[in-house]
Amino acid sequence: MLHYILRRILTMIPTLLIISMLVFVIIQLPPGDYLESHIAELQSQGESVDEKKIEFLRKQYGLDRPLPEQYGLWLIGMLQGDFGYSFEYDLPVTDVVGDRLFLTVLISITTILFTWAVAFPIGIYSATHQYSWGDYGLSTLGFLGLATPNFLLALVMLYFANVYFGTSIGGLMAPEYIDTPWSFDKLVSILEHLWIPVIVIGTSGTAGMIRRLRANLLDELQKQYVTTGRAKGLPPGRLLRKYPLRIALNFFVADIGNLLPTVISGAEIVAVVMSLPTTGPLLLSALQSQDMYLAGSFLMFLAVLTVFGVLVSDILLALLDPRIRLGGGIDK
Amino acid sequence: MTLPRRFLALCFVLGLGLGSAFAGLPELVETPSLEARVAAGELPPVRERIPDTPLLVELGGEKSPGMHGGELRLLMGKQKDIRQVVVYGYARLVCYTPEFDLAADLLQSYEERDNREFTLHLRPGHRWSDGHPFTSEDFRFYWEDVATNPELSPGGPEAQLVVDGELPQVEFPDRYTVRYSWSKPNPYFLPALAGPSPLYIYEPAHYLRQFHARYRDAEELQQIVDDENRRNWMAVFFNRDRPYKATNPDLPSLQPWVNSTTPPAERFVFERNPFYHRIDQNGRQLPYIDSVAINIASGKLIPAKTGADESDLQARYLRMDNYTFLKTAAHRGDFNVRLWQTTKGSHMALYPNLNTNDPVFRKLLRDVRFRRALSLAIHRHEINQAVYFGLVDESNNTVLKEGPLYRSEYQSAWTEYDLEAANRLLDELGLEQRDDRGIRLLPDGRPLEILVQTAGESTEQTDVLELIHDSWLEAGIMLYSIPSTREVFRNRIFSGDAMMSIWSGLENGIPNADTSPAELAPTSKYQYQWPQWGAYYETRGQSGEPPDLPAAQELVELNDRWAAATSREQRRRIWQRMLEIQEENMFTIGIVNHVPHPVVVNNHLRNVPKKGFYDFSPGAYFGIYKPDTFWFDEARR
Repeated sequence: MLHYILRRILTMIPTLLIISMLVFVIIQLPPGDYLESHIAELQSQGESVDEKKIEFLRKQYGLDRPLPEQYGLWLIGMLQGDFGYSFEYDLPVTDVVGDRLFLTVLISITTILFTWAVAFPIGIYSATHQYSWGDYGLSTLGFLGLATPNFLLALVMLYFANVYFGTSIGGLMAPEYIDTPWSFDKLVSILEHLWIPVIVIGTSGTAGMIRRLRANLLDELQKQYVTTGRAKGLPPGRLLRKYPLRIALNFFVADIGNLLPTVISGAEIVAVVMSLPTTGPLLLSALQSQDMYLAGSFLMFLAVLTVFGVLVSDILLALLDPRIRLGGGIDK
Repeated sequence: MTLPRRFLALCFVLGLGLGSAFAGLPELVETPSLEARVAAGELPPVRERIPDTPLLVELGGEKSPGMHGGELRLLMGKQKDIRQVVVYGYARLVCYTPEFDLAADLLQSYEERDNREFTLHLRPGHRWSDGHPFTSEDFRFYWEDVATNPELSPGGPEAQLVVDGELPQVEFPDRYTVRYSWSKPNPYFLPALAGPSPLYIYEPAHYLRQFHARYRDAEELQQIVDDENRRNWMAVFFNRDRPYKATNPDLPSLQPWVNSTTPPAERFVFERNPFYHRIDQNGRQLPYIDSVAINIASGKLIPAKTGADESDLQARYLRMDNYTFLKTAAHRGDFNVRLWQTTKGSHMALYPNLNTNDPVFRKLLRDVRFRRALSLAIHRHEINQAVYFGLVDESNNTVLKEGPLYRSEYQSAWTEYDLEAANRLLDELGLEQRDDRGIRLLPDGRPLEILVQTAGESTEQTDVLELIHDSWLEAGIMLYSIPSTREVFRNRIFSGDAMMSIWSGLENGIPNADTSPAELAPTSKYQYQWPQWGAYYETRGQSGEPPDLPAAQELVELNDRWAAATSREQRRRIWQRMLEIQEENMFTIGIVNHVPHPVVVNNHLRNVPKKGFYDFSPGAYFGIYKPDTFWFDEARR
């Protein structure tokens, strides 16, 4: 087991190296650099640009150096915990991202809990009552949630929340609470705003979750040990909880790898539409303005979390399910 | 921070002797929101806060003198947009009046001789927002320690201060006088000082010295550099010295409102500058409004948020197509919607790229008959009706009728929809052959298909291009629009890959004779009709190509003559000639101008004009209408 974990950790290193190279190259792919998009933006608003100043800035930002050198400096910096500098904000990347991390995690975790709370009972019900009216009805509802474009739902809900409840449009709290210390009123204001993104992001996730739980559970429910258990007189509820449900939960654990990065990145598109103070819009604007260290470091951070999440879920699965551990043994 | 406070104490003592200087001024009224701080001794009373001779603003006519108090809420799309408060605030050394003349503002007065020698007189007793005196030392610091410092300005001072490579002679005769002089005229100097994004020839020396290598111990400075993980001390200095970007709350300012929030943040509050230099006729120190609060929201949500009453004064991020929505929302909300006038020479113009790589097209586009034919084949009236509710003017890319240089023929030449004439011109050019679709054929046999590059930012452009496509087809020309992103768009034009592009027209459609006419001549590589010629001028021949059309050469020459001209009359004649050349040659093909822009104003906000110009330069958006004189009635104070 220890050997297995060690090997997995060692393979993470080349994976991350390759990801870092890809991230850097892809950010650099569009023509020009941050300063050029900066000039373009200034000029589109009629502001003038002094070419001499731009040259000076290019030197200051190190954008005049060859790409491999820029990449090297960035990589070495990251290893030392320095994620570089955001040109757009003129602040270290950690300061820019750190500020938004808490609210992002808050939204994501609430959304995940919401998704589970809705999907879990429905999934179990659909599996145990397969092909019943309830199964069809609830699945349809889930698919409706999946099929409605998130941004549209977001806009519609924003409108109604504003017209009927007087909630301010977009954002996570009423403007007067932004950047103020925590208070009860602020919490209430956040809760007033939070439910919209949670429902919007949540609805799209529930359908997938329902289907997966239903399929996994159906697989198990057909098995002979269930029949045996039922024949021996176990009450249906207890039987379900004790055996098939636990095995069907494997995919939950396997999902952790994907879960970690989503918790941090939030749902980008909904966040942009609803103007949430999360990291999603930040990443998008950084990519648009070619603020390369902000975008690059952020993407790297997500990559590390994904790789790490996959590792955790692999280890957990191996611990939980002996069949997976056995597979590793045969390999040796 | 200890130094200014000690200084203030000193000022209290000296302030007693200044009483006589206030003769002829209205009796001063203390600002209610500052009373507590004055009583606590943190701030001197109002008569010691304003300069000996403040700028007296007489409010009359449509505007009325107001009361102090309230918070002005604005919405912005990005954190970077907080600089708009510096634009709106519009306190400049000299500033434009609503009639677009220049007047002293921060300066008490100035004298100008033949555009060569400029003597600036400061207001004695004028202070920075932290209470430190504003004197010629601040100008000296800028000139000697920033603009001509080889480390901070390796390329030398800003372009507007250099005339044919010659640096100005800068003198500081006394504490309140500064003189800039050149041996040749420099018509760019005063407009640069009055710009919405002004040339700062003064810096708060008392604050910035601590980040400057000349004044700070090298080791201590290095310590700051290391602590902040910067490349060198210049980066530290520029991080602090951002009067326009307003990202440093510690930087003393002369603007009506001063930023009090350190970025990054989602909400920025600009507090009133207690040492501001303007007062009204009732002795109230401006600004009336205590603070400006900016909420950052996604730009696409701003019209909706404005409609939900979340902004008191909003024009940025609103567009003409939001007008109907806002009008409906105004019934529910506590605001009204006004239409101001934009001042672009053309809301959208086609830019034939005279430097395009394709030799056949290059030859064709450089032929004035072809450009005229393209213009004649645009059905501007239809565009006006279909896209702009018939509210705009069909026009060339030229000056607007409100401006002093306007002539009706500039606007109307070659703009009537006349397919017959267009077809005749195209036939004359030897493009009679057509393929089976009815598209004309070029001399080398290719069909006449024009690719128009767009920056891919607005559906409005695509709509207009679609209509032009239909009418050009009648003249046997095929139009394809190629959307991309802004950077790609520009690079295609610079490299010559683009044969035509669509972008907004002249920035300033209401110039007077003293406004630089450089936009009309090939002077910058960002002019999409002749980027290579522009680059040639800009780099003094190091890159680009020299213009080879006589008309373009004449424009360059006229632009240089304008800069050297000594009388207003000469400059006016040069302007007229340049506008004539544009009219004859159609180097850019304007479509419509005079497009209104919706401005949302809270019902309790007073003194915002019913009608106005909404433009960045020279109007500074709300700037020339002096937002420091806007005030809230009782309901919002």
